[in-house]
Amino acid sequence: MAEKKQGRLTKVLDYLKHDDPFSKGVAFCPGCGLELLLRFIPRVLGNDIVITGTPSCSAPVLLGQNNQSWHTLSYFGTLMTGAAANATGLVRYYRKAGIDNTVVCFNGDGTANDIGFGNLSGAAERNEPFIYICYDNEGYMNTGIQKSGTTPYGATTTTTPYGSVHKGKNLRRMNLGLKMAMNKIPYTATATLSDLDDLAKKLLKAKEAKERGFCFLHVFAPCPTGWGADPADTIEICRRAVKTNYFPLWEAENGRIRMTKTVKKPKSVGTYTELMKKFNHMTEDDIKILQDDVDYEYCLLGGLSVLEAECQLPVSVKDQGETS
Amino acid sequence: MSSNHYFKHEGPWSDAGDPLMCTDTGDWRTRRPVVDKDKCIFCGFCAIYCPIQVVEMKGDTHFEADLDFCKGCGICAKECPKGAITMISEGEFV
Repeated sequence: MAEKKQGRLTKVLDYLKHDDPFSKGVAFCPGCGLELLLRFIPRVLGNDIVITGTPSCSAPVLLGQNNQSWHTLSYFGTLMTGAAANATGLVRYYRKAGIDNTVVCFNGDGTANDIGFGNLSGAAERNEPFIYICYDNEGYMNTGIQKSGTTPYGATTTTTPYGSVHKGKNLRRMNLGLKMAMNKIPYTATATLSDLDDLAKKLLKAKEAKERGFCFLHVFAPCPTGWGADPADTIEICRRAVKTNYFPLWEAENGRIRMTKTVKKPKSVGTYTELMKKFNHMTEDDIKILQDDVDYEYCLLGGLSVLEAECQLPVSVKDQGETS
Repeated sequence: MSSNHYFKHEGPWSDAGDPLMCTDTGDWRTRRPVVDKDKCIFCGFCAIYCPIQVVEMKGDTHFEADLDFCKGCGICAKECPKGAITMISEGEFV
């Protein structure tokens, strides 16, 4: 009986080879997607990583308080305007000192897409060998739920409220993953928390591709507090985001896009928005605009991945990592 | 909790203390996950999706949350494919 039970154990546990460096009681909200991601990364990549990050939801825990820390990893706290530049400095120091480790630049979408995008873009162009992970909670959650560039159309935040004049955010969201893939860096990928084996594979692939240069991971991490969702729904939100093509899962090596999970019959984006209070006010017309956005981005991705399969693209970008 | 050790890549200027900080997050909980051992098929979904990673294997029969640190978010109950975990209000255990 017991042996039969063993056989069904999920494969994700095989990826968790290392110890959890965090202490158990850590000050994140219940149901936080970021906490799951943060504990997952060192358990997959090993505790021999150096994290650099900015003021964000992750900083109070990663940085520590009163000369004490919440974890045994090394962390370097920087400003939002210079996240990727500081990671560049760390990587170059470790290379000169002959220390072999992995530098992970761990930022929110506010740093990656808005404030620190100049640095990120520069580091991608110079092809610096580190992993940049952006956890996307679609807003500046730590400072009180303000809107960011990746906040979707219609979402209410404290700076895009719902009332008689304003009806949530009236701008469309930006697609950070595609922007980075177009830089033709060695590895770009999107991942989410409902597909943890996919996330683990992508993390390990990024660690390998980091030898050739810059790696970028865009991880969708819901924020139950800021989005007005039930904490128990965190994983369900991720799952529906994938099933409605709101957040498609793909990876790109040297800018060549490949879908890692295709949904046969994508559902309407309404099944995703119904889980959160931030979309409560949306009428059918509003949802149509959001659906347009989602469909357009997915068509673009689909087209690019088909192009890669059908056309013979030049192989000139392969040796990009062997400079410097 | 993982064992405390000195940081591998930290310089001598670091003034980080040796013991790790730890909050009593079990205090925050309003609902408690209770596992039905007969329904549990030992798939481990509750353990991998738990944000705090406190759901642990108990032998090779079932999984159980460490109630000292469980924040009571209810993800394990929601993700269990057999519905073996129910969230019960803390008031019933007083």
